[in-house]
Amino acid sequence: MAKRARPFVAEEVLLEKLRQRDQQAFQWLYDQYSAALFGVILKVVREEEQARDVLQDSFVKIWRNLDSYDADKGRLFTWLLNVARNTAIDALRSSQANNKPSAAKTIHPDADTVHIVDRQQSTPPINPAHIGLKDVVEKLRPERRQLIDLVYFGGYTHEEAADELGLPLGTVKTRIRAALQELKQLFT
Amino acid sequence: MNIQDYIESGILDTYVLGATSDQERREVACLSAIYPEIQQEIDRLTETMEEYALLYSVEPPTDLKAQIMAQLAFGEAPVKPLFGSNGNGVSAAAPAPAGGTFAVSRPVFTMSWVAAASVAVVMLVFSYFLVSQLQQTQRATVSLQSGKDKLQTELTDLRVRQQNQDQALALLKLPGTKIISVQGNEKAPGGGMQVYWNEKTQQVAVAINKMPPLPADQQYQLWGLVIGADGKPQPTDAGVLDLTGDVQKQTRAIARANAFAVTIEKKGGSPTPTLSNLVAIGNV
Repeated sequence: MAKRARPFVAEEVLLEKLRQRDQQAFQWLYDQYSAALFGVILKVVREEEQARDVLQDSFVKIWRNLDSYDADKGRLFTWLLNVARNTAIDALRSSQANNKPSAAKTIHPDADTVHIVDRQQSTPPINPAHIGLKDVVEKLRPERRQLIDLVYFGGYTHEEAADELGLPLGTVKTRIRAALQELKQLFT
Repeated sequence: MNIQDYIESGILDTYVLGATSDQERREVACLSAIYPEIQQEIDRLTETMEEYALLYSVEPPTDLKAQIMAQLAFGEAPVKPLFGSNGNGVSAAAPAPAGGTFAVSRPVFTMSWVAAASVAVVMLVFSYFLVSQLQQTQRATVSLQSGKDKLQTELTDLRVRQQNQDQALALLKLPGTKIISVQGNEKAPGGGMQVYWNEKTQQVAVAINKMPPLPADQQYQLWGLVIGADGKPQPTDAGVLDLTGDVQKQTRAIARANAFAVTIEKKGGSPTPTLSNLVAIGNV
């Protein structure tokens, strides 16, 4: 097993306290990550009402499944993100299935709407990171970002993404690889 | 395998985006444990996606924190996560590329491995049983085969003797068959036999009463003797004798004879009798 770079030693202490169901530890966890998780959830479900429910569900799941999180297998933040993202995707799919079962196409917006929605959601730039959403939006090629968003926030498989975008499966695969490499460059 | 090709295939990117199939996910998890390069690439991509997700951060409504905390139980003994019974929780954690995935699905793997191992053990024991059964059967077959061969040999021997006796008996029944008593001289004291001869069919058979045993390289040989006008005997080979005691039909034909005589010859018989070794004689 490769040695993993663990950014915070405090994370281990936090986990230990979380597993003892310590209230302060949870508060710290919430303060630290709720904005990131809420942002991702919003990105998936697009409605604040539903996003509130999904964030609640996500933290309940995180709380219940803390013991199944293994720090050796991945970073805490990634695990939290995945719980929130998958809960949001599940919620979106079940609400779509309930409300408009036949209108699948309208649920998956094309590139332009994704773009617009992203801009709207990013208007309050909460995260004062060294690089802002605007920079990424401008630097990352639109067709690459669109693909990452479909797969990461939309929960699309390669096949579904290829269908949605009218692209050959091979192109989807190479484009995803290229997109992540480009992103990686942007953040380093 | 070529690590670089594997990394560049894009599967790790797909993995980090959470779009891999269960099988691909297991493959990546397995390979990343073996190859540090793969783990490093996963780490870099994971951090990239963390950064990317962070870009979308939106502060949740302030009242939500209290609402959520009201749903959680604090300060209790850790509750074990319920596998399977909590469908949502599991499905939420399952597609995670790292972290939850393995921890959640591990007990299922363990159960499968235990089940597979048990099946393997049962099969192994059963195979051993079958192999030992097979070996036992093979041993029995070999033993039966050798028994059968032995019986076959005995049966063949008996048939030959039976045939021989039948022919001798047939000779005895023929009209005109003469019985000549051939008695041992001083070289075979107490020895004697009956020679059955039919002049018409020229057949000869012998029933030995008793003859002294011979070394393995010697045999008794029967001769038909015709005494010529000059008083000199003209011998004709009537075949060698075996000492089994049964009535035996001789293979040589005798057309004319005044007497029958027995000499000791080398094994397999001689073309002419060694008269110095004459041990028995009887007149027709």
